[in-house]
Formats: sequence, C-alpha cells, structure tokens
Amino acid sequence: MDKLLEILEDIQPDADYENCETLIDDGILDSFAILSIVSELQDEFEITITPSQVIPENFNSAKALWAMVQRLKED
Amino acid sequence: MSLISMKFLLFVIVAAVGYYWIPKKYQWIWLLLFSYIYYVSGGLKVTCFLAFTTITTWFAGMRLEVITQAEQDKTKRKRRKKQILVLTLLLNFGVLAVLKYTNFAITTYNLISGASYRELSLLLPLGISFYTFQSMGYLLDVYWDRTKAEHNLFRFALFVSFFPQILQGPIGRFSRLGEQLYASHRFDLQKAERSLLRILWGYFKKMVIADNAVIFVNAIFGEPERYSGLGIIAVLAYSIQLYCDFSGGMDVVIGIAGLFGIQMDENFKRPYFAISITDFWHRWHITLGTWMKDYVFYPVSLSGWMKHFSKFAKKVFGKQTGRTLPICLANLIVFLVVGIWHGAAWKFIVYGLYNGMIIAFSGLMAPRYRKWKQALHISDNNPGFHLFQILRTFVLVNISWFFDRADDVGTALRMMKYAVTRFDLSQLLTVQIGEASGTAYTLIFLIVIVAGCLVVFLISLLQEHGRDLDGFYDRQHWLVKCMLFAGLFLLLPALGQPSGEAGGFIYAQF
Repeated sequence: MDKLLEILEDIQPDADYENCETLIDDGILDSFAILSIVSELQDEFEITITPSQVIPENFNSAKALWAMVQRLKED
Repeated sequence: MSLISMKFLLFVIVAAVGYYWIPKKYQWIWLLLFSYIYYVSGGLKVTCFLAFTTITTWFAGMRLEVITQAEQDKTKRKRRKKQILVLTLLLNFGVLAVLKYTNFAITTYNLISGASYRELSLLLPLGISFYTFQSMGYLLDVYWDRTKAEHNLFRFALFVSFFPQILQGPIGRFSRLGEQLYASHRFDLQKAERSLLRILWGYFKKMVIADNAVIFVNAIFGEPERYSGLGIIAVLAYSIQLYCDFSGGMDVVIGIAGLFGIQMDENFKRPYFAISITDFWHRWHITLGTWMKDYVFYPVSLSGWMKHFSKFAKKVFGKQTGRTLPICLANLIVFLVVGIWHGAAWKFIVYGLYNGMIIAFSGLMAPRYRKWKQALHISDNNPGFHLFQILRTFVLVNISWFFDRADDVGTALRMMKYAVTRFDLSQLLTVQIGEASGTAYTLIFLIVIVAGCLVVFLISLLQEHGRDLDGFYDRQHWLVKCMLFAGLFLLLPALGQPSGEAGGFIYAQF
C-alpha cells in the first residue's frame, strides 16, 4: 500500500489519498493521471490492467486501487 | 421531421398524452412505436440501416453472453468473443465509413492522382453516427462484462432508436438509459413543468440566438475577402451559434425525454468557462468525449503495442516523459477520430489534431507547470489566474472554430491572418440581412444576439457558482411561472428565425 501511495503522490501530488473516496467522481484524477497510474502499477506489480478494469469503482480511492492490484495479482 | 416544427410538437404531445394514458407495462412499446414512426417519416430506405445496426448488435450481444456462460476454456472464450466483437464492429463502422467517407476518399484520390472519378450519391441515414456509436458502446460493454446483454430484440431496438435523441444525441449508455426506457413512469407535474421550461429554453437558444448569429456567420465566412476586417466577429458569432445551436438542441432533447420521465445524460456543462482544452472537452459534447475515452482512448493506451512503446519510451526519455508519451500518442489518435467524426474533410482532421496536440503538450508539460506555479506562488484558486485560464482557453477554442467553420484549411488560416492584420469593426454594419432588407435591420439583429447572449451568460454564471435555478423556479408564485412561460413562448416567433437561412440543427447532420 505504501508503494501505491508513493506512485499516486508522484503522479498527482496535491490530493488526500488516505481519505478521499471520490478521486474520479470529483475529477481529481483525469484520464492522463489514470493512465500514468496504470502504467506504473503494471510495471511495479507485474500485473496487466485491461480497459474493462478502468472504471470509477476501481480508481475512486487508494483502497479501491489497492484491492484491484491484489485481485489482479491473484489471477 | 424537424425539431422546430408544429408537426413535431404535435407528434410529441400525442406521444406524451398516450404514454401516460395506456397501461404502464406497454409504455416502452409505445415509445418504440413512436420512435420508428419518427424515423420512418425521414425515409423508409434509411430505416433499413437503423434496423441493420439494431439486429446485428443485438445478435452479437446475445452470442457474447452465451459464450461467456458456456465456454469453459479461458483462451477459447477470449478468442471467440473477440471474433464476434471485431466482426460486428467492422460491419457497423464499415457501413458508417462507406456511407460517410466514400466521397471524401474519392475526392482525395482525385486530388493526389489527378484522376477524375465522379462522387457517388449515397444515402446518409439520419443520426447514423450517434446510433452507431451508442450501439457499439453497448456491444463493448457486453464484451467487457460491464453490462448484461438485452435478450428482447424490441427492447434493444428502443435503446437504439429512442426518438428524442436519435438525431443529435446525447450518446446514451445502456446501463443508465436502458433501465429508464423499459421502466414504467407515472406522470409527475413538477418534472413535466421543468421539462417544458427546458424545451422552451432550448428553443430560445436555438431560434433567438443561434439562428440570428448564423446570418452573420454565413455572410462573413461566405465572403472572407469582402468582410476581411470581421474575422474576429465571425469566429465569435460562430462560437455563439455553435454553442446555442447544439446545447439548445440538447435542452430540447433532454426536455422531451423528461416529459416521458427519462433523464438523459447531460451533454454540456458551460464549456466557455473551461480553464484548459482538456477541461473544455469535459464540458463540451460530454457524451462523445466520455465515449471516446472509454472505448478508444483507454483501449488504445492499454493495448499490447502501446505497452511495448511505453517500455521503449521510458528507457529513452526517462520515467516521467516515457510514461506520458504513449498517453499523448493515444490522445492524438482519439482526436484524429474526433476530427474525422465531425466530417469528411481535411479541415476537420486539422481541427481534431489541433485539439489533440494542445492536450498532449499540456500533458507532457504538466509537471513543469506545477513547478513553475509553485516558484511564482500562483495558486489555482487565485481569481485573476482563474480568469486568465478561462480567457486563454476561449482564445484557443476560437482558433479551432476557424478550422471547423471555414471552407477549407487555407481559408481558415487566411481569415486568422486577416483577423489580426485587417481588423475593422466598421464593416459590421455593412453585413446584409437577407436580399430584400439589405442592411436596414443589421443593428437590430446584433442587439437581439447580444441581449440573448447576456441572458445565457448570466444564467450560466449562476449555474457555474452552484446556484440551484430549478429550486428557485419551484419557489416562484404560479403567476410568475406563467409569465415566464408566456414570455419565452412569445419571444420565439417575435425574435427568432423559424425558417429560411437558419434551417435545422448543425449536429443533426452527423
């Protein structure tokens, strides 16, 4: 989780990733930021993220992102 | 059947009255019936294309679901689903491409090779871009298991053909629109009142502002040499016309859907208040933007070959730039598609790439911008900086409108040059309003446009600051409400252009 927070801070510094649960709904992460995060997650955790996984439910909070990473690592 | 006609209003009234009169379980069938009557009134031949898209997409959706459930082998399942997806996409986008772009291909080939092949006279079914995009979005959602396939062909046919939206969108999503179309609806006076007001507001924007502005737009863009001093006025008038035409049309469409208890996705969110081109595309033609994002931008960015490019770019340019470059490339592809979607001409391709390049450049520069702003102690909340961003974006958007509206790229560039080098506001009063009246009414038309724009601006400003205008309307005395309705209703024939030069909605040609 710490590594994930580090990635998020690096890509989009000015957001409260610990508490915010509306990163997509409130437009904090735009599509450029989302794809930058995807790129880093794929490299860091050796997972493959497909377009079907790029939905607000998976990107609205750091927790949801982490849950997606865990799910994809198990697959 | 034009959205601005007594015939259409009568059609909507009959459809709405019947909708609440018949048993609720038949409401969706009633809507399907009226949607097909509406479409067939535009021609029986073109209805075949609508039926083709409906049947092929419905069948493909069903097959995808069967394979997902029945095929146990993951690799085989993936391969078979992909085959169906690709075939259906090719069939439907193929029809769209042939009907819309064959003549563009012929003229381009003639230009390059010096040949003189004749253009073909092809049918262009009404709203083909909109219903094709909406249907293919559904197909991709089923393919990705984001939504379940619709088993009933006729219910699916309603999703593709729902009459208020078929001509110019908004491009609906099955997960939100489907449910509402098939649900039963009870008449709600407050919703109906708000919907009627929204319809009138849409007609006001279209007939009083857009259709008066188009007279100046057509005159100046039609004779750019004669009115060379009016380039800036021309593009400002076009930005007013385009916004009031398209967003006015959306108000009418969303209002009509609201009469049936259906809430459509919004397509505009005060785009001229945008602080960047990216922000502009989040506020302008929103449903096309989100369609492109979900079904083109993400799939292209996450494709295998883009992943390879990303690895290569990270090695060569370093982590940050290497990570952003493939996204910029995918973004350029998206805007190339957006440009082509707008029309079969090179000027639209330039228009698309112009937008794509600005967004790509901003994406690449974002980390540097952040550093510069920190160094200069500029906060995003600073009102002055916010206003600067809005004005900068407005100028950039207006440059793109030159490409969109001028006859070709050369004319667009020439008009931009004249706009700066030959600026002459005195030419404005020499613009003729029709053959007969000459310039006698030019000033009156200008006053009507400016006054109309002021009303739209004030309302937009209040909405931008989060004011609840619907709630404000609800709190008014019934007499005030009646006066508002009557006022808007009387303004339309008094100040609007019901026919003649203005004609239909711009985006209904797509």
